[in-house]
This record gives sequence, C-alpha cells and structure tokens, in this order.
Amino acid sequence: MLTYEKHILSNGLRILVHHDETTPMAAVNVLYDVGARDEHPDRTGFAHLFEHLMFEGSVNVSRFDYQLQHAGGENNAFTTNDITNYYSTLPAQNLETAFWLESDRMLGLAFSEEKLATQKNVVIEEYRQSYLNQPYGDAWLLMRPLVYHVHPYRWATIGKNIEHIQNASLQEVRDFFTTFYHPANAILSVAGHVDPQKVFDLAEKWFGGIMPGNGYLRQLPSEPPQHEERKMKVERDVPQHQIYMAFHVCGRLHPDYHATDLLSDILSNGESARLPARLVHHHKAFSEINAYITGNLDPGLFVIAGKPHNEVDEQEAEDMLWQETQALIADPVSKRELQKVKNRIEATHTFAESNVLSKAMNLAYYELQGDAGLYNRQIDAYARVTAGDLQRTATGTFRRENASVLHYGRPARP
Amino acid sequence: MPNRKQPPPINIVSDIPFIKPKGVEMDNGLPVYFLEGGIEEFVKVELVFFAGSYMQVRPLVSHATSNLLRTGTIRKNREEINELLDYYSAFLQLEAQKDIVSISIHVLNKHLEPALQLLSDMVRNPVFPEDEMRSFLKNQQQLHLINQKKVQHLARTYFNELVYGEQHPYGYRLKPEDFECVERSDLQQFHHNWFYPGNGFCIISGRMPPKIEKTIATYFGDKGWKNIDTGKPPVYHLLTSGGRKVNLSVPVAMQSAIRIGKQLFNRTHPAYHRLKITNTLLGGYFGSRLMQNVRQEKGYTYGIASNIISLLRSGYFFISTQVSADVLQPALEEIYKELKDLRHKPASKDELGSLKNFLYGSFLRSLDGPSAQGERFKELLVFGLDFSHHDDYLKTLKSITADDIMATAADYLNEDGMMEVVAGR
Repeated sequence: MLTYEKHILSNGLRILVHHDETTPMAAVNVLYDVGARDEHPDRTGFAHLFEHLMFEGSVNVSRFDYQLQHAGGENNAFTTNDITNYYSTLPAQNLETAFWLESDRMLGLAFSEEKLATQKNVVIEEYRQSYLNQPYGDAWLLMRPLVYHVHPYRWATIGKNIEHIQNASLQEVRDFFTTFYHPANAILSVAGHVDPQKVFDLAEKWFGGIMPGNGYLRQLPSEPPQHEERKMKVERDVPQHQIYMAFHVCGRLHPDYHATDLLSDILSNGESARLPARLVHHHKAFSEINAYITGNLDPGLFVIAGKPHNEVDEQEAEDMLWQETQALIADPVSKRELQKVKNRIEATHTFAESNVLSKAMNLAYYELQGDAGLYNRQIDAYARVTAGDLQRTATGTFRRENASVLHYGRPARP
Repeated sequence: MPNRKQPPPINIVSDIPFIKPKGVEMDNGLPVYFLEGGIEEFVKVELVFFAGSYMQVRPLVSHATSNLLRTGTIRKNREEINELLDYYSAFLQLEAQKDIVSISIHVLNKHLEPALQLLSDMVRNPVFPEDEMRSFLKNQQQLHLINQKKVQHLARTYFNELVYGEQHPYGYRLKPEDFECVERSDLQQFHHNWFYPGNGFCIISGRMPPKIEKTIATYFGDKGWKNIDTGKPPVYHLLTSGGRKVNLSVPVAMQSAIRIGKQLFNRTHPAYHRLKITNTLLGGYFGSRLMQNVRQEKGYTYGIASNIISLLRSGYFFISTQVSADVLQPALEEIYKELKDLRHKPASKDELGSLKNFLYGSFLRSLDGPSAQGERFKELLVFGLDFSHHDDYLKTLKSITADDIMATAADYLNEDGMMEVVAGR
C-alpha cells in the first residue's frame, strides 16, 4: 500500500508526497502531460528534442546538472508517446535544491541558437546509435505507420526521420514551451525521507508564483478500426529473421486493460509462460520470443515478437504464433495458470515499492490517469480478472483483420 | 517570490546508514550474511561461488553451467522448475561473470519456503540434460551472431583481447564455433569442482521472516552438501605491453565505436580510491570533462563515459563512446586532449566541490535499501575486504585535492600507454 498526501496549488500544479523513513534519499519527479502524440506530423521528434533542451539552462540557472550534482543528486528524463518525465534523486536534506531547479525551468528556459544546434546533433547521434546502427533498430520505425494510419502513435518518440529534427527552429521551441510547460500541465511528486507539509510549503514557495498558462485542449484523431490484415516484409543485414505481430487493444483506462495485460503474461511473462515454454524450449523453433502490451493512454498494441531459428520456415513460424493466440480463444486458461500470472503481478508490484524513485514515478503517472490512488487498486483490478475475461478479450484481439505483421528478414540467398 | 539567483543551502552529511550484516557459518562451512531492512515483506537470497569464466578450461563452461541449473535436477525437469518459479513469483537471476557466478532470487516472504527448496535443488542437484544444453548453446550462438553486428560489442571484445591477450580468460573473445564445443561432462565437472559451500557465500537481504536462519540452514547448511578439494585455480600470465591500436572496418556501420584504455589494478590497490575519483572527474558522470566537452559542447555523440573495472586478479580503465564517421578524428583528438589535461589542468574549486558532492550522494544512493547494501557488501566479500574499505573511500573523498588528482592521472592515465580500438566505418 503506497500512502500519499495530495495538494493542488492555485496555479493548477498537482503535488503528491509519499513519506518513507527508511531511506536517507528523496526522489523528485516532474511529469509534463505532453508526449510525441502531441507533435505536429511535420515536426515529429520534437517532444524528445525538447527534453534535451530542458537541461541546457533556465532563466536563473545556467547549469542544471552541475547544481543538482553539487547537492549530491543525480537526474535524468525520458519521453514517451504520451508523457515527458523528469526525475532526480538526492540526499533528502537537499530537497530544496531540486525544487529550485525544477521550478526555474518550469518558469522559463534560456534558449539559444547555439544550444539548439548542439542538442540537435546529440539527438541525431542518438537516432543513429539507437535506431539505425543496431540490428533490428528500425523495426518500430516501420511498424508504427503500418499499425496506425491516423493516430499520432504512428511515429516513434525519436521522430519519423532525421530531417524533422534538423529543421526544428528556435521559435518552434519557444512555442512548444509556452503551450506545454506550465504548472497546470504538470504533476510534481516526491517520495522519500520528507515531511509532506514541508514539501507543500516548498512547492508553494518555488512553484506558487509561476503563471498557470493557457489550457491545452488535446484533440487527437482516433484510429479507425482496422478491417484487413496488414503485412510487410523487409530485408536487412541481420543474422536471423524476426517476426513482429501487433494487434490493436484498448487504452489503460478501459475495463479490459488488466485482462489484456494478463494475456501477455500468460504468453510470455517468465520461462514457464506459453511462448518460451512451447516455442523456444519444447518445439525449439524460436531462439527468443516475447509478448507485451504497449500500455499507452490511448488505445495501444498487443505485440508478439520472436526470432525463429534459421532452419525454420518463416511462414510456419508465423503460423505457430497464430496457433498460440487461437489457443487462448479456444480454451479457458486453467485456475493455476491464471493464479500464477496474478502472483507475479503482486510480486512485481511489491518489489517496486522498495524504491523511492519508482514510488514517486507511479504516483505521478497514476495521477495523470485521473487519481494517484489508482496505483493501489491495481493488484485488486488484476485479481478480479477471470478466465472468461481472458477468453473474451483474446477473442476480440487475436483476429486476422486486427493484425499487422512485419517479417524483418535476412537477405535472400542468391 | 524566492531569490532564484541564490541556490538553497546544501548540506552533505557524513552519516552513512550502513546495515551491519549478521554473519553465521553453516555446519558445512557456507558463510551466510543477513542484512535486515526495508518495509515490504520480501527478501533477496543470493549465492555466490568463485566459479567465473576464469576457472573454466573451455570457453562458455561457466556461463552454461550456471544458466543450465534451472533446466533439470535429480527431482524435477525444466518444465516443473519454471512453473514453480513463476507460480511462487520467485525472480531467479543466474549470472556468470569473470570471477564469480551469482545465483539469486527475489521472493515474497509468503513464498520463501517453496522457493528456497527449489533453489537448493537447482544449486545442489543439477543434471544438465544434453538436449537442454544444446538448445541453450544454439540460442546463445544466435545472440552472439547478432552481437557481432553491433560496433560497440565488437569494440568491447577486441579491446579486452588487446588488454589481456587471447590466452587469458579475461581477454578471450568468443568465436561462433565455441558454442558447439561444450560437452555435458564439462558442465558436470565444473559444477562438481566449484559449486560447493566452502567456495562461496550467501547473502540474504530484506525484511526477514521469522526463523530465517533455520530455514537457510535446512536448505543450504547441512553437511550432506560436501566440500571437496579441487586444488588451486588455474594461473594465467597477464600481458603487460601497451600502446597498441586496432581498427575494425565495418563498412555498413553508421557510427564508429571507440574504446580507449589500459590494464590497471582492482579495488584492493592502495591507489584505487583516488583513481576512482579521478576517473569520475574525467568521464564518470554527466558533469564530467569528457561528457561536457564531447557531447555538450561539440555535439559529437549521444554519450561518452570512462570507467574502471575491478576483477579479482586485475583491473582496467576504459573510455567508450560512439560517434559518426565524419567526426571520428576530431572526437579522438578531444579524448586524448582530455587525458592529457587531466594531469595538467587542475580542477577548479567548483569542479572539485561538485564532484565530491556528487560522489557522496552517489555513494548514499548505492546504499539505498537492503538489496543495494547487499550488493556493496558482496563486493567487499569477493575482494576479501571489510567495512574499513568504505571508511577509506570516504576519507579519500574528503581529503583529495586537485593536485592529488593530477598526480593520479600522471601515475596511471597517461595516454601514451593506452590501447585503442575503433570499430566502424
């Protein structure tokens, strides 16, 4: 049970605090309700480029990292399709330093052409390092537009292509800041050896004077239902074929979300799960295989990705994946198998509560979904899922016309 | 409005909340340590044996032996083991390193008993089924082939070979055919030789359930688990020459991976702590000179870092990064310039102060929670050190000066003796 106190400043900033005496540290998390889904289709990769610029100095602080490290802290950030999240951990007695730094960059950034140019280079190198220079690195750059035709999940957080990053202008950076980086569009959470009332006072002191900003009304086009199976095939210099299958599923707040998540656990959470047990260990057809849901706020994906051994026919390998999904429709999972995945959820949840940073992140992320208390209701929500729910959800999900399949393969032999 | 030009006061405390382990020797000689802490009802149980790749007579034997513990015992087959592990949500990690293997589970206290029973069976009575071994090695071979496509992986493996030599287990670079040369009897022999109570230790960290000592004694402490005399570990000659370069051409690569470094020493060396601090200034954190120069000023890379690695019988230093082919030469020049500056350009009061505070906070972070404390304590045990090692670190951190750092750089990090590997275009 993650206990917390909540307070809202008059400018709209939401604050959540968890008190934990067993650690000398404090974690400070600032979540901005903006992700790659909020980008213009011709300026993709922008939310993530902007995340880099948040470390390049603000109105009154020229070196964010230096100041935080000076207080014994460490920090980082990440951007997803839904959110941009900044976090620090530092000795609890230096908590105020994090408030000073985070509030100053919410107040305003010290933009310059030079800093923008350098961070564009850094992000372009990141693009090359993580997506273009890795085996299978561009698979999701290919998959997203195959699966999504309309919704902005059709591009990755790094962006559709390098030109979008190269073309970003300083004025666009300014506008992005004005639209998304203000108190009413942010959630501040703190976990660790801290007194909640003192945290609220510090928040008032450092964030209270920041103007609320104009409301941003998110109006994203929803993805229309898919009506036929989509297929794609590419050849790359990789030693082994990989098959990616993606099915449209519900978003996080949908009543079927937990059942969908448990279906992915039945397939691949742990070595005893069906895909590794049957296709890797028993049939020895795949060397590696995985199933997961993307867990997005808007309707996301159920993904199965696996590498068949080179002597296995690619189509037969794909058929095996289909068989496993159809088995979930044909027969209810046993009591024991269902209990097994629920036990694993409970354990994962408990392990996460031993870490101040993950506690702070979870409070902010569930508050974004409407209520930080949702976090504590997750185990129950999973516990209520029945074998019937799984079968019904599988039936709705694992349909040919709801599938997109990418064969990412080796060059054909001459 | 607060005065935003004025940073809030900071306070770097000197009180480190060490959890003092309680040590107990089992009847069979296995040393067991309990680190009590945390709120949540779970523990981590970790068994460590000095059975890393250094001990093996054939490539991959240590790795395969530890990973195949979960594929069959005299009582249960792979399927049964995996089902029980998952049902009791015991998160098992099997990790073979250069010097040790680590076998650990995270498990909720309510499932501890069945999980330990299973763990004990895996560690003590594995049977290494032939088909499981072949299947594991085949999958690992596939992974190996994929890794060969990654420039950073190539740079790492060729660098280790350059530093330690191809004959030394610290430097040996795996070949695809190695995955076909392992015999089942190699694993049985290796397990027999090195997985016994007197050749390792056990650490339990977390919120202890009642009678935990007795539970551990039941599954791991009895005399039925025998010690054996396998004699001394093998002795390998360490290479001492330096200053060589390797260029690996990967024409299709979009970036080149760079690795520059040299053989040094491990954490038992008297100069280890000042080397660690010097290394951090150079490339050990975001505020480091390499990161600030090569990424933040020049924009040549997404990231650059320097590291020091402690092995039981040696240690080494390296800088690693990935850059585009068109900036390879300027990036190399900046790296060598920073190495040179490290012994000529004193750290300013600001730079040194910030470095010290960061390292202090980082030390505190590395001890946050019983499981993290267990990790630190494991390092001490592996190297035969005690808590005075941490005291020495904190003392060094407090007293080290800009001159000390330059002297350390001059003693150990002169660019003349460095090995260099570039993999890419």
